Amino acid sequence: MTKTEQAKRSIAEWVTFSIASLILAIIVSLVGYTWLNEKNQPPIVSVTKKQTIREINGQFYVPFEVVNSGGDTAESVQIMAELLINGKVTETGEQQIDFLSSGETEEGAFIFSQNPRQGQLNLRVGSYKLP
Amino acid sequence: MTTKRQKNVWRSKINDIIRGACGGFLFGIPLLYTMEVWWIGSLVKPQLMIMAIAFMFIVVYLLNQIEGFRKRRDSWLAPQATMDTVEAIAIGLACCAFVLLLLRELTPETSLKESLGKIIFESVPFALGVALANQLLGDTRNGDAEAQAIDPVNSTTKNKGDDLHATFADVSGTLIGATMIAFNIAPTDEIPMLAAAASPPWQLAMIATSLLISYGIVFQAGFSDQQKRKQQKGLFQRPSSETIMSYLVSLLASAFMLWFFQKLTFSDPWTMWLDHTLMLGLPATIGGAAGRLAI
Repeated sequence: MTKTEQAKRSIAEWVTFSIASLILAIIVSLVGYTWLNEKNQPPIVSVTKKQTIREINGQFYVPFEVVNSGGDTAESVQIMAELLINGKVTETGEQQIDFLSSGETEEGAFIFSQNPRQGQLNLRVGSYKLP
Repeated sequence: MTTKRQKNVWRSKINDIIRGACGGFLFGIPLLYTMEVWWIGSLVKPQLMIMAIAFMFIVVYLLNQIEGFRKRRDSWLAPQATMDTVEAIAIGLACCAFVLLLLRELTPETSLKESLGKIIFESVPFALGVALANQLLGDTRNGDAEAQAIDPVNSTTKNKGDDLHATFADVSGTLIGATMIAFNIAPTDEIPMLAAAASPPWQLAMIATSLLISYGIVFQAGFSDQQKRKQQKGLFQRPSSETIMSYLVSLLASAFMLWFFQKLTFSDPWTMWLDHTLMLGLPATIGGAAGRLAI
């Protein structure tokens, strides 16, 4: 190996090395950033129903959205829906979300055979567990 | 003269990186298709992420002390091994992020902490694979000169029967390698899960990536038998046609594996066959490419 070749080789080496260390440095500093900004706060899970209810073949689809605005991840988040017509529970629905990390939003839908607009629809988060 | 030399230096450097990435894919792809690792990544605390990077650094450094992913001839010095280690980890992080994006496990909606956890935990086996790149399939590049000396004799004596034989050997090598990897992944629940998340544009991206990685492993990376492969005779002599042929064989193998484990049945719609097979096609092609090298 001649001297010039060695010098050129080290240029190529240094360029790739600096790109590589840049990637590593970015990842490490992002981890550091999340560490510093960690909210030591239990999960705060809330469910909201979206306005548009679709009716297809006599079934009523009620879309919902679950958000975890707390700090930790919630596991097995259980969402329950109750449809009250004339003060009586006529239909219920249940859905489970596997993982909901901090700031994450998941969507889904409940399906009823009676029109939710005719009664009162209650959505609530039943339970979750900590991983 | 100088520019030519410079080009060669860059080419060998890029080849080093591609070889490393291919080794990583061979080693890391089964874990990239494991949902438990995604979950662990989503749940893990930042302290543990730092520990994972440190652990990865130490192990890859030790591997690089023994034999690195690059074909190094000059030094066994500690700074060199450190540089190799940083590069191996960066290759691992970049390739894992890419595959996770491709599998729709990372989306713009994924939170920063979750994405970091997934990328870091998936890249641990990947970085090990990068460091092991040379050892995985053995390195006989030093024998190039001899091979070239011998080969002209061989190629003149080759006849049509040999061509068919070589093609058959290629196809069976691909089948064996693809089946080995597809066997590990086909019975798991990841394939239906991933297939559900992949829309047609992502499936096309999946096909393109499979072809690229397969081509990279066999023809670019300079693993053990690369020189031999370029001189391999057979019906599919050109690198591009061989890559496509092996991809199709791998797809067949993965469709068969999915059917074998009853993940697909004949009453399922053809779209389901298509997306499931394409999802399993990526790991299967990587296995197939390795299988072709092994024969």
